[in-house]
Amino acid sequence: MYDIVIIGAGITGSSIARELSKYHVKIAVIDKASELPAGASRANSSMIHGGFDDKPGTVKAKFCVPGNKLWHKLKDILDVHLDECGSYVCAFNDDETKHLEELLQQGKANGSAGVEIISGDELRKKEPNVSPDIVAALWSPEAGIINNFEAVNAMIESARINGAELFLETVATGLLLDDSGNIRGISTNKGDFTAKIVINAGGVHSGEIASWAGDNSFRIIPTKGEYFLLDRATKGFIHSFLFSCPSKAGKGITVLQTAEGNLMSGPTATEQLDPEDRSTTPEGLAEVLKGARRLVPNFPVNMNITTFAGVRANTESGDFEISALKHPHGFVNVAGIKSPGFTSAPAIAEYIADLLKEEFSDLVTFAPNEKFIPERRNIPRFLYMDMAGRKALAEKDSSYAQIVCRCETVTEGQVLEAIRRGARTVSAVKMITRAGTGRCQGGFCCPRVAEILSRELGIPLDEITRHGGDSKLLVGKTKEFLLKGAVSE
Amino acid sequence: MTSERKFICVSCPLGCGLTVTLDDSGEVTKVEGNTCARGESYARSEVKDPRRVFASTVRVRGGKLPVCPVRSKTPAPKGKLFDITRAVASLEVEAPIKIGQVLIHNVCGTDTDIVASRDLEAV
Amino acid sequence: MSERIDVLIIGAGPAGVAAGIGAKREGAERVVVIERDWDLGGILQQCIHPGFGLRTFKEELTGPEYMHRFIQQAHEAGVEFRTNTMVFQIDRENNTVWTMNKERGIESLNPSAIVLTMGCRERPLGAIRIPGTRPSGIYTAGTAQRFVNMEGYMPGKRAVILGSGDIGLIMARRMIWEGATVEGVYEVMSWPGGLRRNIAQCLDDYGIPFHLRTTVTRIHGQDRLKGVTVAEVDDHMTPVKGTERFVECDTLLLAIGLIPENELSRMAGVDIHPVTGGPVVDDLLQTSNPGIFAAGNVVIVYDLVDNVSDEGLIAGTNAARFAAGKISSAKRIPVKGGENVRLYSPQIVTGETDSTIFMRVTHPIEKACRVFAVTDNGTELYTQRLRYARPGEMNEVRINSVKLKESGNVSNITIDIQEVK
Repeated sequence: MYDIVIIGAGITGSSIARELSKYHVKIAVIDKASELPAGASRANSSMIHGGFDDKPGTVKAKFCVPGNKLWHKLKDILDVHLDECGSYVCAFNDDETKHLEELLQQGKANGSAGVEIISGDELRKKEPNVSPDIVAALWSPEAGIINNFEAVNAMIESARINGAELFLETVATGLLLDDSGNIRGISTNKGDFTAKIVINAGGVHSGEIASWAGDNSFRIIPTKGEYFLLDRATKGFIHSFLFSCPSKAGKGITVLQTAEGNLMSGPTATEQLDPEDRSTTPEGLAEVLKGARRLVPNFPVNMNITTFAGVRANTESGDFEISALKHPHGFVNVAGIKSPGFTSAPAIAEYIADLLKEEFSDLVTFAPNEKFIPERRNIPRFLYMDMAGRKALAEKDSSYAQIVCRCETVTEGQVLEAIRRGARTVSAVKMITRAGTGRCQGGFCCPRVAEILSRELGIPLDEITRHGGDSKLLVGKTKEFLLKGAVSE
Repeated sequence: MTSERKFICVSCPLGCGLTVTLDDSGEVTKVEGNTCARGESYARSEVKDPRRVFASTVRVRGGKLPVCPVRSKTPAPKGKLFDITRAVASLEVEAPIKIGQVLIHNVCGTDTDIVASRDLEAV
Repeated sequence: MSERIDVLIIGAGPAGVAAGIGAKREGAERVVVIERDWDLGGILQQCIHPGFGLRTFKEELTGPEYMHRFIQQAHEAGVEFRTNTMVFQIDRENNTVWTMNKERGIESLNPSAIVLTMGCRERPLGAIRIPGTRPSGIYTAGTAQRFVNMEGYMPGKRAVILGSGDIGLIMARRMIWEGATVEGVYEVMSWPGGLRRNIAQCLDDYGIPFHLRTTVTRIHGQDRLKGVTVAEVDDHMTPVKGTERFVECDTLLLAIGLIPENELSRMAGVDIHPVTGGPVVDDLLQTSNPGIFAAGNVVIVYDLVDNVSDEGLIAGTNAARFAAGKISSAKRIPVKGGENVRLYSPQIVTGETDSTIFMRVTHPIEKACRVFAVTDNGTELYTQRLRYARPGEMNEVRINSVKLKESGNVSNITIDIQEVK
């Protein structure tokens, strides 16, 4: 029996779980994925927005700037990599420059600190590789780029340290209501989770989940965004986040340097029916490349290491859908969270805690958790340590004197610690340690990570999966396979 | 009536394109396209008794690796290769294993042996 | 105080083991080879098929057999090996080499000379940006080879191979011999990447279709690979509309090229050639950073392991000479590639010894042609007639040091392969 069950452990669900773990409440967070982050929190621009982009009065505008401020504090509390690099919106002509003016006013209205318009030449002094055709740019110093893999894992880990329980590979299949039509919990593929409050943080599936509660007031439009990710050797090619000027078609293609130093570009914005279709397309990738080259003419696409796509939960209103329903009592939507969702998440979480206290005090008592531990430490990052620190670590634990991932200099010690913290798939280890995110994309380390998982978890190597489900890496042992299977002659 | 057969020589990395002329009794009368004597003998063998070196692994008990590479000591008849794969697959060998150690004598009646192609220590 | 080492070699594959032998034979006292794996031999440990060492040993050996012979020679010569040890950093200021090992922890070494023999790695999927999903079942051919030949596991039951590099061709046959099906090999270029004999003995022998000017244009499957779309390409390597075809498979093996592995070389401040992807070296195999030598696939990707071992010996020998103070700043003549030369190495000739320049053509010439080297003052240093020249097969140019000396004042040498008119 839980007090609260949260559907979805993306950045929204994880942030809410952590915020609610500040109270003496029993929390379950479920996610259908085998590892976190999995949905839109995994494949996005990893931007912590400055807050000038949202129309004053919208729900987005309400949460973006406060969320930004929270992240600048949380990065130290949760030990997450946030590059406080600022962002530029680039204008190529007078019309676009005029638009920058509007964004500037909007930013001021939203409380976005330090936004200003600079000339194209000033921009090129800071970012020599941008197009000579850019005439002006809107600078937002408070914007940043976060390591989104780390951030989601840090957030959920912090929630778990404080008592929240996480259930992966758990798919919500419906709501449980009592005789008077109030929330009694949810049903899942792993059985029922009874709870007094259900929070719908289901991302691209949040519309469907809302409809279980009879709420059809909004519809999710799954919108695919495709990206290029380049080798970390591109570090310094640009130093911050470059937006194109927003147009009718959306925010347009951006170019950024990730928190780890990879050059990256995207996203497209293609509406689709299937919320789970995360395939890249020739058209989408061509569009990204064109957009990247418009901002950065020498975009070194030959140093590409992977392409990927994410599906974001757009809504018809274009705004977040956050509400506590009257009926059934105990149901909350935190739906349609897309850009600037990652930025807003901690602020949304604070709001949700207040909302629950206000609306559902009849269901749950929100007594403060005096033992709440705000801090959470990341696994040591060998790559970023100085030699003395590395030596000391290796002396203390010899598994830190063994490299598993060459590209990102990830040690066996880090992989072991990731497994201790819950990683069960090759991809989970990747999300937590960055093993396999480098230029060889796991060619070298994937078999080694799989072996360590097999050894540590006592699971045969051919049962280890890439990312859960049917994604086993291997199909069996060689000789048994030959003797059992049909020989092709 | 003569006939011609064309194939690529696999005796060395050059991969010469060979043309073999056969008389009506199937005897080789001419080999062209080869750059060395190995090519000539390969061509003659290929039309009458094609052979290949077989290389695979066998399962190992108690070794530093779960499998040990093996090969046929000499080229084996091409038509017997799939029989050999099964014979080799059925075998399990105790470590340690020495390079050159004969693991199957006269495999599938082909007059060639399956030998280990590396040293493999026991754990 | 770090220990005294005359020649430190990074990587115990064919180049590194030979470099160790070369350095010891030249008289270096302490020669240490660092190897990250638990065993010696590098990638040849998993190349269990025959086809190695015909030139050196006059017989075709498997990879492990070939290495066994060299490793024995190295042990006899007194080369020291440190396995399970990885070099993870080289400081460019003073060539300090940082190693890690579970027993010894993290150590720094300051050898008198270094030989880089880290080999190469396979080009990954991301390099060619195929659209679609990212399921399991996609491996570089070498990763699959390690699973099958060293770990004893099958990556899949029904494979498509993209690219016709030799490892891909070898793996096609290997999969068949383990009872799997191979649906076909797809090569985007108009010519094969690997050796013709491997097409004959690995594909033709088993009726595996080989498609030139065809590539994979889409990957399907959420969890496990379900299939790929393949399509023919035009002269600009753009997929031709209407030629797309779905091929069901659970495994995609990539044999789309090899890249010299030079992360450490870059840390060491060694100049990297933009085309080879390996260090710029002279004919002594010394890099731009004095005292650091390089040999084998870390410099330029070779076809034959015999060449890799030869180059390793040369680099080891010269590293030992450097450690003994026997290499002076000699004259350095740049080598230029002619019209049909895609890449070559070494790029600088000192003329101190006879040397071999390895090169690949850009476009195939399927008729009589000639490989040659000529100086800027018109002296022909080398010429050799060829029946053909193909990008997949390396050519060699030999520079005779006496002939070079006799040709007077030379400021550069051009190498090329041209049709014989």
